[in-house]
Amino acid sequence: MLALDDVQFELQAGEVHVLLGENGAGKSTLVKILSGAHARSAGEILLEGVTVDLNTPRQAQALGISIIYQELNLIPQLSAAANIFLGREPQKMAGILHHYKMIQDAQAILDQLRTGVDAQSRVQDLSVGQQQMVEVAKALSLHARILIMDEPTSALTEQEIKELFTLIRRLKTQGVAIIYISHRLEELYEIGDRVTILRDGKYIATHRLTEIDKSKLIRLMVDRDLGDHFPKVRVQTGEEALRVERVSRRPVLEDISFSLHRGEVVGLAGLLGSGRTELARVLFGADRADEGSIYIHGEKVKLKNPADAIHKQVAYLSEDRKSQGLVLNLPVLDNICLSSLDRFSRLGWVSLKQEAEAATDYIDKLRIRTPHLRQQVRYLSGGNQQKVVISKWLCSQARILIFDEPTRGIDVGAKVEIYQLINQLAADGAAILMISSDLQEILGMSDRILVMCRGRIAAAFSAAEATQENILQFALGENQRAHA
Amino acid sequence: MRMHSLWQQHGRQLGTLIGLLGLSAVLWILTPHFMTISNWLNITQQTAINAIIAVGMTFVIISAGIDLSVGSILALSGVVMAGALKADVPLSLALLFGLAAGFFCGCMNGVLISRGKLPPFIATLGMMSVARGVVLIITDGRPISGFAPSFRVFANAEFLAIPIPVWIMALVYLIAHLVLTRTKLGRYTYAMGGNEEATVLSGVHVRFHKTMIYGISGLLSGLAAVLLTARLNSAQPIAGMMYELDAIAATVIGGTSLLGGEGRIAGTLIGALIMGVLRNGLNLLGVSSFVQQTVIGAVIIVAVLLDMAMKKRRI
Amino acid sequence: MKRTVFVLLIVSALFSCQRQGSESASVPVIALVMKTLNNPFFIEMQEGAQAAATALQAKLLVQAPERELDVEKQMQIIENLIQRKVAAICVTPSGSKEIIPAIIKANQAGIPILVVDTRVDSAALAEAGAQIATFIGSDNFDGGRMAGRMIIEKLGGKGNIAILEGVPGHETGDSRLRGFHHEVDKAAGISIVASQTANFERDQGYSVFQNILESQQKLDAVFACNDMMALGAVEAIAAANRGGQIVVVGFDAITDAREAIKNGAMTASIAQNPRDMGKIAIENALHLIKGESIPEYIPVKIDLIQ
Repeated sequence: MLALDDVQFELQAGEVHVLLGENGAGKSTLVKILSGAHARSAGEILLEGVTVDLNTPRQAQALGISIIYQELNLIPQLSAAANIFLGREPQKMAGILHHYKMIQDAQAILDQLRTGVDAQSRVQDLSVGQQQMVEVAKALSLHARILIMDEPTSALTEQEIKELFTLIRRLKTQGVAIIYISHRLEELYEIGDRVTILRDGKYIATHRLTEIDKSKLIRLMVDRDLGDHFPKVRVQTGEEALRVERVSRRPVLEDISFSLHRGEVVGLAGLLGSGRTELARVLFGADRADEGSIYIHGEKVKLKNPADAIHKQVAYLSEDRKSQGLVLNLPVLDNICLSSLDRFSRLGWVSLKQEAEAATDYIDKLRIRTPHLRQQVRYLSGGNQQKVVISKWLCSQARILIFDEPTRGIDVGAKVEIYQLINQLAADGAAILMISSDLQEILGMSDRILVMCRGRIAAAFSAAEATQENILQFALGENQRAHA
Repeated sequence: MRMHSLWQQHGRQLGTLIGLLGLSAVLWILTPHFMTISNWLNITQQTAINAIIAVGMTFVIISAGIDLSVGSILALSGVVMAGALKADVPLSLALLFGLAAGFFCGCMNGVLISRGKLPPFIATLGMMSVARGVVLIITDGRPISGFAPSFRVFANAEFLAIPIPVWIMALVYLIAHLVLTRTKLGRYTYAMGGNEEATVLSGVHVRFHKTMIYGISGLLSGLAAVLLTARLNSAQPIAGMMYELDAIAATVIGGTSLLGGEGRIAGTLIGALIMGVLRNGLNLLGVSSFVQQTVIGAVIIVAVLLDMAMKKRRI
Repeated sequence: MKRTVFVLLIVSALFSCQRQGSESASVPVIALVMKTLNNPFFIEMQEGAQAAATALQAKLLVQAPERELDVEKQMQIIENLIQRKVAAICVTPSGSKEIIPAIIKANQAGIPILVVDTRVDSAALAEAGAQIATFIGSDNFDGGRMAGRMIIEKLGGKGNIAILEGVPGHETGDSRLRGFHHEVDKAAGISIVASQTANFERDQGYSVFQNILESQQKLDAVFACNDMMALGAVEAIAAANRGGQIVVVGFDAITDAREAIKNGAMTASIAQNPRDMGKIAIENALHLIKGESIPEYIPVKIDLIQ
């Protein structure tokens, strides 16, 4: 099978060229070829009109091509300056570092980018947005003429995104060409000049973003009309599934109370670090609450560990699927069944047949694209990986599902599938708590919305009351209001 | 396509098997004494002890751990068993005591690692020294020797012309293979080694299963002690020194990754046989023990280098 | 893909093949299985054996486990040599009882076993119904007595003595120790103030004796059950600046020890003549192969080197 077939792509100096496509469309493969990590089997690459050899990452670097990956490649314990000059440290003489010069040079680059980052601060003390700035500075210190950014905004706050865009515009004026990969369509119109669409490893089209509208773009990507972005279906809410009373885990959670009903999707909004994930972990038994009570289906429960929570039919789809959701080197089958082996086994003995049947069932239902059951999950695309995690929880027969950033880093087509799945679950009477940084997603999918700020629930809205503005207001802590 | 997926799933083990066959072919050419039934019975019997310990080691390494205490636990189990036999405890009960001692020490490792959060290297390094010390205290450093013929069955007897230790080894491998591929414990062993955090968050009782894995390693060390004690007709307090390294070597040659999450029990058997065949062959050829050590070390390095090269190509 | 392994194996195998190449059917093959090849004592024995084999036109195979005291590996070697159908096996047992199952296997294959240096437990041997052709070695008990008498004489019948023991339960060290006690326990003016094992090893001899020196301010002599430990003790004495104050007697008279005796750091050692042992072993193995009978105990003389 070809990962990439006869793709043409042209990049001009000083432009932001967006690369768009569903998961598995071939974006990453193209990026890997351009970065020298993957060899191409045919075709050629021209830089400033000259055919170039591009077979190793080192060659790519020498040609001025730099990549900023979604997962940043920095060493957290080292300073920003040390990271920028890693492997190319200025030296006084062989082996002796010229520490002062390194910091000075690094600071000069960071200042030139107007990042406000201190070159001497350790990377782990910087925010994700600032870390990204350090990556950009590193690329520039390598005299990058082509900068490839893979989902640069997925972990950034609104403010940080603004700063990043300012930075990108400044780079454009310096003649740097940028290949920009993102699934957030709104963003593309804000920052991109042109867009190239790939689908199933094939080149589809290139357009100026000023000449193409969103729905056309989506149509080109998925080759079908999506209609509404958020196919929200409202269902009659049933009895109470989960009730949380005055739960605290200081200093991250303070006096949390709310309830969740069957058939209901409750959106949990808030900035990063507002305590959303911490709350989810407490509800899942991964962390303990200092005080307060949790009731599941009206029964007071003590959740000592995730196994207890799963036993009570609670599921937690974590925000970081690679490190917390999946065992990457295990097959799809094993991952789907990991939480429910008890169901498929007797006296510790697993019935491979039952297990395979169940897994096949979920692969069909959720349309997970995998060559076979035994494929290691690491080779699946992000959207398909996420579907595997969801299958795991469906397989464990969870009725209360906590989704933490369920669509992060997932392409539009797969996003809609996940939304449809959430609808379906709610219609089947499951209770869903959906944590998201994407306000449109929160507004589009939720029956009710809770807003967290500094470890507390700052506000609760019905779907009708909520707007982007009032959610943001409470999330930023600019207003206080008793919740319903 | 079928062939392709066979290679994909078992490529590493097939590679090791080809290595074993190639090695055997070379020895066959070089010495007439190698390819005889009696010599192969000899090799398999010699391999049994290391091979059985290596099974436990494989479980532990797949779970992304390491067990340095197997040799010391072997000595402790052997001495407990021998002491019981000398005190006229019935054979079956003495065996049970010995195996229980091994299982208990292994579980202690597991508890230290899963509850005490000690790195496996440290916990089992400590156990290695503690168990050895206990053995020396119990025995005052002296071996316990001379057992009834009923016990020597584990070394001398044959069933269908194949020595008992070889049968035991085969049985252990069969069971271990089934446990690893067909049971919850096996599945969780891979999962823990692949991503412990995700496994905890999938509701697996990681502490319990980890304790069991180290318990199994200890138990198998105890079983190896039965064979060794019967073989030498003596339980030596210094028995099993450095056996952990042979077991780790067999496991690694067999394709189990020290990073955890990957490995197959059949590979370990082949790995142990490669070591056994090498030692035997070099003995037959009259090569000095210094050269033997060098060759075995080189084989370990080459095996892992090949493994890494193959992985790179697959991605 | 596995090419590298093949190349490696073939190279190593050819290399070993070359050494085997001169072997012809008429030349008898005798194996010498040692405890270790890391100890000068055994290297000298090997040299003695090799010289005898060359002189008498026999082929000698020398094998030893990677680690001393690993009697199970020694057993593996004997099993493998049986497969190779050698004419006779000379062995210095790593365990005086544990080696018996291997001897039985040789008996079954009709290959004579000559035990060298370390005795096999005779009671266990008889019980198991195993046969050895002969024991070739010095009487360690007599050697221990010789060391005891020497120390009593040096101290004028009065003083404090420390002992560095060998591996517990090990026949050679135990006999030396018994012989030593046999003499020293009778001497009224002598008291044994410390007796600890240093497992026949030089580094352990050093550290164990360092501790003994620390705790015993008045110490007049030390007896070590082999020279390696004695040499360790000599270094500990030098490190503590107590050189010349303590009589050090070792066992085996290895080259390093003879050196130390010559320059005064060590007082004496009991010489075992490993070279003779090796030579006598090969000579007698050949007698056996020719069908001649040999005595069941062949003593090798011991000397006091001082």
